[in-house]
Amino acid sequence: MTANQIRGLPVVTVGGGEDIAEVRDVIYSPEAGALIGVTLNQRGFLAGRRKEVLAAVSIHAIGEHAVMVTDEGALVLPAEAPEEVSGADSSRNVLGNDVLTDGGVSLGTVADLAVVAGTSGEVVGYQIIKPDGGSGYIPLPAQLAVSGVALVVPALTEDFVRDDLVGLGAAVDEFRQRLGIA
Amino acid sequence: MSDTFKAAIGRKVVSSASAEELGKIARLVVDVDTKKVTALVLGKGRKARIVAWEALSGFGPDAIMVNHESGLREATDEMDHRAVDGALELIGKRALTELGNEIGTIDDVEFDPVDGTLEVLLVGKQKHPATTLLGNGSYAAVLDRSTDPA
Repeated sequence: MTANQIRGLPVVTVGGGEDIAEVRDVIYSPEAGALIGVTLNQRGFLAGRRKEVLAAVSIHAIGEHAVMVTDEGALVLPAEAPEEVSGADSSRNVLGNDVLTDGGVSLGTVADLAVVAGTSGEVVGYQIIKPDGGSGYIPLPAQLAVSGVALVVPALTEDFVRDDLVGLGAAVDEFRQRLGIA
Repeated sequence: MSDTFKAAIGRKVVSSASAEELGKIARLVVDVDTKKVTALVLGKGRKARIVAWEALSGFGPDAIMVNHESGLREATDEMDHRAVDGALELIGKRALTELGNEIGTIDDVEFDPVDGTLEVLLVGKQKHPATTLLGNGSYAAVLDRSTDPA
C-alpha cells in the first residue's frame, strides 16, 4: 500500500475495538527505509489536529482499513516520543525528489512511498512519476542516501521499474538479492 | 446444542416467580476476555433494562427464564451504558483483523446457551472460532491474524 492510502485511516485499538484517532500524515526516514511514525487528527469529518504522535514502534500493524495499536497508550505527546519521531524534519521528505541511478540516469520523481501492509511501516519502494509522465514503482535497497533534492539508487534499479504494487512486491526480493543485501 | 444471537434477539424474557413476561432480548452483551455472554439488554433507549447472565435460570429456545423480576436493573455505570448503546454487542459490527484489514460484518454468533460461551463468529460466508476475538468496541470487533486474508 502507499502512504497516500495510510493518510486518513482510523487508528483502532486491538483490545478495545475503538477508533481513537486518524492518520494525518506519515513520518518517513529514508535512511531507515521505514515509517518512523504518524501524526494524528481527531476522528470525524473536519475534526482538528491531535497533539499526540504515534511512533512506529507502537504500531501493531498497518492494514488496508486501519492502523492497529495495542491501546490508547500508544499515542504520546511529541516530547515523550522517540527523538527521531519528535525531531522529524520535513526537509527529509523525499516526495518530488529526482531519482537518479548511480549510472546517471533519471528514473523520474518520487510520488509516494510503497509500504508493506501488515507491518509497522516498512517501506520497500517508491511510486515514481516517470520522465514520460507515466506512473511506476521502484524497489529500494534497505538503506539509501538522500540529499533532500535527489536520491541516488543503484543502476540495477532501472531493470526493476514495475507498473503496479503487486509487481513491485515480487521485484523487491529479487532486487535485494541481486544487490547482495537480502 | 448451540443457539445463535440472531435467533435469540426478540425472544421473550419471563420471570419464573410470577410467570410474567418482562420484555424481549434487544442485545446480547459479550465479554471479550472470557468470550462469554455476560448480560442481556431488554428494550432500548431509556427503557432499557439489563439482566446479568447469573440471574438467568434458563436460556431456552422459546423463552429466557429469570429467577425474579428483581434481576432486572437500569444501566448505572459506564459499562452498562456501553452495553445499552450497543458498543459491546457483536451483531452488525465491522470485523477488523489485528493486521488492520476489514473482512466484513459480524452477521451472527453461535453460542452455548448453557453457560453463554461464544463458539463461532459468522462473518459473511466465513466462520471463525470465537477464540479469534481480541477486542470489541464502538468502532469494530477485532479478530486475530488467523482470520486475515493476506
